[in-house]
Amino acid sequence: MSIRGKLLDFKRRLSDRKMYSIVVVAIAAVAIWGFTQYKSASEMRQRLNNQYNRAFFDMVGYVENVNTLLLKSLITSTPEKTAAVLQEAWRQSNLAQENLGLLPVSQPVLANTSKFLTQIGDLAYTLNNQNINGKPMTDEQYETLEKLQSYADSLQGSLNDLQNQVSAGRLKWDELASKGKPIFKKTSSELPQKQFENIDKTFQEYPTLIYDGPFSDHLSNMQPKGLTGNNITVEEAKKRVIDFFGADKVSEVKDDGKSDTGPIKTYSFKVKFKNAPKDQEAMISITQKGGHVLWMLNNRSVKSADIDMDKAKKLGKQFLDNHGFTNMVDTYYLKEDNTAVINYAYKQDNVTVYPDLIKVKVALDNGEIIGIETQGYLSSHTVRNIPEPKISLEEARNKLTSKMEVLSSGLAIIPTDYKTELVTYEFKGKLNERDFLVYINTETGKEENVLMIINTPNGILTM
Amino acid sequence: MRKAKKSLLVCLIISILIVVLFQSGGLHISPISSRIGPGSPENEVKKVQQKLKSWGYYNGEITGSYGMDTLLAVKDYQLCHGLKPTGITDSKTQYYMGLTTITVSNSAYAQGTNTSDEQLLARAINGEARGEPYEGQVAVGAVILNRTKDPRFPKTIAGVIYQPGAFTAVSDGQINVPIDEKSTVVKAARDALNGWDPTGGCVYYWNPATATSKWIWSRQIVKKIGKHYFGK
Repeated sequence: MSIRGKLLDFKRRLSDRKMYSIVVVAIAAVAIWGFTQYKSASEMRQRLNNQYNRAFFDMVGYVENVNTLLLKSLITSTPEKTAAVLQEAWRQSNLAQENLGLLPVSQPVLANTSKFLTQIGDLAYTLNNQNINGKPMTDEQYETLEKLQSYADSLQGSLNDLQNQVSAGRLKWDELASKGKPIFKKTSSELPQKQFENIDKTFQEYPTLIYDGPFSDHLSNMQPKGLTGNNITVEEAKKRVIDFFGADKVSEVKDDGKSDTGPIKTYSFKVKFKNAPKDQEAMISITQKGGHVLWMLNNRSVKSADIDMDKAKKLGKQFLDNHGFTNMVDTYYLKEDNTAVINYAYKQDNVTVYPDLIKVKVALDNGEIIGIETQGYLSSHTVRNIPEPKISLEEARNKLTSKMEVLSSGLAIIPTDYKTELVTYEFKGKLNERDFLVYINTETGKEENVLMIINTPNGILTM
Repeated sequence: MRKAKKSLLVCLIISILIVVLFQSGGLHISPISSRIGPGSPENEVKKVQQKLKSWGYYNGEITGSYGMDTLLAVKDYQLCHGLKPTGITDSKTQYYMGLTTITVSNSAYAQGTNTSDEQLLARAINGEARGEPYEGQVAVGAVILNRTKDPRFPKTIAGVIYQPGAFTAVSDGQINVPIDEKSTVVKAARDALNGWDPTGGCVYYWNPATATSKWIWSRQIVKKIGKHYFGK
C-alpha cells in the first residue's frame, strides 16, 4: 500500500465513532498534562524570583546600613562607642556579602564588589578589636575608613538605581539565571548583566588594603620564610623525587609540568612504582627554590588497619627525621579509610611552634608514608628569637577561670588570622568533662585563643 | 480494523504511562544500614540504643558501642515482635524499629541526611569530576576550599558550591547523583579537607572542550589535570 493509501485508510478509520472518541480522550489527556506542567513551571519560576528578590533587597538594605555605620564610626569619639558601631558594620557587611553570593549573576561580574564587602567587614572587625582594648584609631586607619566609606556610598547609589529597575519589573532574575536562547541573548540576558558590571566598575580604582585581618591584601604574596636554598632545574628536581622515594622502589618518573604563580613555585611529577598495580601512582610537587617537597600524595587504597597509632606516629616521626625535618612533635591526628593523617609541629627548645606544620599520611596496613604536606612549614619555618616571658607561668595560670582544672601546661607559638605569631603559655584543662586548650600571651597576659578538643573515634580534633 | 484500534490503544496507554511516570516520584523506604551490630558506626548504634531505650528494652547509657547489653536488648525486641532473635539489627529489624530513610526513587537524590562539609564536598566532586583521575578530583575539592578563603567568593563550602551558576554540576543536578561505592570521591574530599592542594591555590577550573565563557580564557592557566584547566 502506498503512503497515500495508508493515510486514506487512517482517515477512514478515524471516522469510526469509537476511534474518534479515543483520539479525543488522548488529546485531552495530553492537553491537561501540558497545562499542569506549565502551571507548576510558572509557579516554580515565581518562587525562584521571590528568593532572588529577597536576597537582592536584603543586600541593598545591608549595604545601606554598612554605609551609615561607617559614617557613624568616623564621628564617634570614644573607643568603646567606635567598637560597638564597627562591630555592627562587620556583621552587616558579612550579611551583605552572603546575600550577594545568592544572586544569579556570574561570579566574575561581581568579584570586586564581593571583595569590597569582605574586606570592609574584616577591617571593621580588626578595628573593633583594637577599640575594645581602648586603643583609638590611628590617623592612617581613619583615612582608610573614610576612603572605604566613600566606596560604600557610591555602591549604595548604583544599587539604588538597580533596585528601581527591579521594582519596576524591568529586570527579571530568572532571565538572568537561565542562559537564554542565543536569539534573545542580546536583549534579555546581557542587559542586566551589564548593569551589574557597572556596579563592579565602582571598584576599579579600589586601593590595596593592608591591615591586621585574614583578608588583607599583603597576605596573598607573603614571602615563604622556610623556603631556603638556591633555584634548581627540572633535572635536579627529578633526582630529588627519586631520592625521596628511594631509587630501588621507583620505576618511572613522569614530568607533569611546573607552576610559576604564587609565592611557592613548583615542579610536579607523577611517579610509578616497581611491584605495584598499574593504576597506582604518586603525585609530588618539588619547590623550584631549594628543591623541598611541598606535597606528595600516593593514591594507593589501604584495605586494612593493622598497626596502632603509637606505631604510626613513630613511623611518621622517623620519616620526617630521615628527610631533614628534625625536632618535629606530633600534635593531633585523624584516622580515616585505614590511614592516619598526623600533624607534626616544630619544637624549638621547649616551645611548640604550631605555624611550622607538616601533615604526614601513614597507611595503617604496612606503615608506608603515602602522603606529606609541608606548606605550613615551608611558609613560616625559621629559627625564631623567642623573647623571655614577661609574666610567669603562675601569673598566667591565675588568669584562667578557676572552674577549669589544669592538666598540663607549656610554651607555644600560635599563628594569628593574619599570619603573625604570638608567644603564649598553653594550658590544657578540663571543664564539664570537656577538654580545652587555652593560650595566654606571655607578654601581656591576654587570653589569645581558646580551643575545644573533640575526641572522636577517628582522632582528636581541635575547634 | 481491530489491529489498528489495538495499536492506538497501546499508544494511548504508553502515553498515559509516560505522563504518570514524569509526574510522580515514587517514595522508596530503605533501612539506614544493611546490618547494625558490633563494630558498626557509632551514630547508627546510638540510634538503635535510643529507640530501644525509649521502648524500655534497654536500660544502659547511649554509648554508641554495640556491647553485650545492647545485643541482649535487641534480642528481647526481636522475640517480642516475632523476629529471629539474633541480637543483630538486620534490615528487617530496622524496618520494624522504624530505622529507615526515605528517598525519592526516580529523581536522583543522593542520601541527603548527612549534610556535613565532607559529604557535600564529595558530592560536588562526584558531580563535577567523577571520571577524572584521582589528582583531578582532589584538585576540584581544593578549588572549592580555596574559594572559601578568597574574599571574592562566599565564605562557606555550601555558599561556594551553591552560588548560582558557579558549577555546572549544581545547575544540572549532577551533584545529586548518588556516589558509587567504589568511587574515590569521598577519599578525594578528605584529602582536600586535610589540606592537600594539587592546584597550588587555584580558584577556577574549566574544561577547554566545553567552556563557553570567553572570560574564563583570560585567566592564567596554572595547571592541566585530566580534562580540566586550573587557573587563578
